[in-house]
Amino acid sequence: MDALVAQHLLNWLVLGSIYTLVALGFSLLFGVLDVIHFSHGDVSMAAPFVALAVIQAVTVTLVPDGGTATLILAILAATLVVGLFGVLVDWLVIRRFRAAPAMMALVATVALGTVVRELIRTLYPQGSNPKPFPALTTEVLRLGEVAVPVFSLIVIFVSVATVAALFWLLNRTPVGLRIRAVAEDRAVARLMAIRPDRIFAITFFIASAIGAVGAVFFASHAGVVRFDFGVQLGLIGFSAAVIGGLGSMQGAILGSLLIAGVDTTVQMTIPDGASYRLVFIFALVILVLVLKPSGVLGKPVFEKV
Amino acid sequence: MLEMERVNTSYGTVPMLREVSLRVGEGEMVCLLGPNGAGKSTTFNAICGLLRAESGQVRIAGRDVRDCGTEALASLGVGFVPEGRRLFPTLTVRENLRLAFDAARAPALEFAAQIEKMAQLFPRIRERLDQRSGTMSGGEQAMVALARALIGEPRLVVMDEPSLGLSPKLIDEYFQIVARIRDQGKAVLLIEQNAETALSIAERGYLLVRGRIALQGASADLLRDDTIRHMYL
Repeated sequence: MDALVAQHLLNWLVLGSIYTLVALGFSLLFGVLDVIHFSHGDVSMAAPFVALAVIQAVTVTLVPDGGTATLILAILAATLVVGLFGVLVDWLVIRRFRAAPAMMALVATVALGTVVRELIRTLYPQGSNPKPFPALTTEVLRLGEVAVPVFSLIVIFVSVATVAALFWLLNRTPVGLRIRAVAEDRAVARLMAIRPDRIFAITFFIASAIGAVGAVFFASHAGVVRFDFGVQLGLIGFSAAVIGGLGSMQGAILGSLLIAGVDTTVQMTIPDGASYRLVFIFALVILVLVLKPSGVLGKPVFEKV
Repeated sequence: MLEMERVNTSYGTVPMLREVSLRVGEGEMVCLLGPNGAGKSTTFNAICGLLRAESGQVRIAGRDVRDCGTEALASLGVGFVPEGRRLFPTLTVRENLRLAFDAARAPALEFAAQIEKMAQLFPRIRERLDQRSGTMSGGEQAMVALARALIGEPRLVVMDEPSLGLSPKLIDEYFQIVARIRDQGKAVLLIEQNAETALSIAERGYLLVRGRIALQGASADLLRDDTIRHMYL
């Protein structure tokens, strides 16, 4: 295989994995709460900042040069913190719009995204400036002519494992069964002794924690993070979920791979493609929505008898 | 087992139920009749706490529904058949039953044994356990919905128009099963439009007209009542 093509495939899988981790949250939250959580990208993007703060705290107080162990600890802490942050977002804001028209929750979450971004900017020291974000590893494996960064393998592996864990949780565990029940019929779920608010909190934790992992990978991939990176990542993740079919987990994965495919192809084949990538990505989004408004794997909503 | 006492509810500013009182004793089968829009489903929602009564009280097994909440009713020994069945369509039959079984929180019961019991009552359920409930026929869904209400061995079953949309043959079959539930000594509140069938298996009945209890009495008397005959028979 051509080394360039192999490199291209690898990039595609890495970006597709990162987008998937964000898109899953959009789809999961829409499927369970019927809400488009537009600030999901911004909430997720809080994770690299939490991780940086943890690294800072650890290196200042405990070990001056923690290395990879510190970074892994920081990422785990950021995942947990952002997961809880998602629960807080639901409790503080989204909960107020449970019975409101979908448009109101949408506008509220758009506003919330700005609040989160600006909070990061003001609370984080010199928050307006881009922050260098450490690479998990800079090791590169040589497979013939193909250079395979170990980081890429980690991203792909962790993403696949996360998706597998999510599917297992949703389809094979009691809490997953309850999440699916609430997604289908909140009122009847209550008759089955399920408290929807608890399920919503759990769902928010899962979606935000998975998004946090995606955002950390995004920052690590870019080598840098800025307070407003969540806008683009959120838009791409949301678009991926929409063109795949909002509410469908498989759709979120498919949509992410589609968008990542366009992304890497444009960057590789078009001169100065990196500047145009968003044009092509969002043209694809429009095209899919024109051709199949419910998304590639979107199903018509089940008719109630 | 179930007592509604002078319950008032409204939808926005439109009053729905006015001073509705009814009771279902231990092991008693009672029907609530009424034309479309009389407030039958509102009564169901008030009983299970999905709709808050503005005044009055709903007590189940001596507990005020408003205090204990919808989520606690299953563990108080109540099974529900909501209007239109309302199964979780993408969940399998087994998963639908599992949720109801867990909700009852009855440590003495075993899920596998209860499934077996339901399969004896509704033989068609047995080979459909792993089918998504939304892909079943209306009649089969009605049976699963009833099994879901029964699997936790409730002391009271509340059914909201369970026969709606079933063929006459299936309705007969359905009510034969309901009569067996009654004979097992469970209390049943059957909310129905189909007055003749309901009164033929219930001991007592109430007639709801425009949000008020217009009539109540023993089934035999109601069957002879002119209002009921005029409205239904």
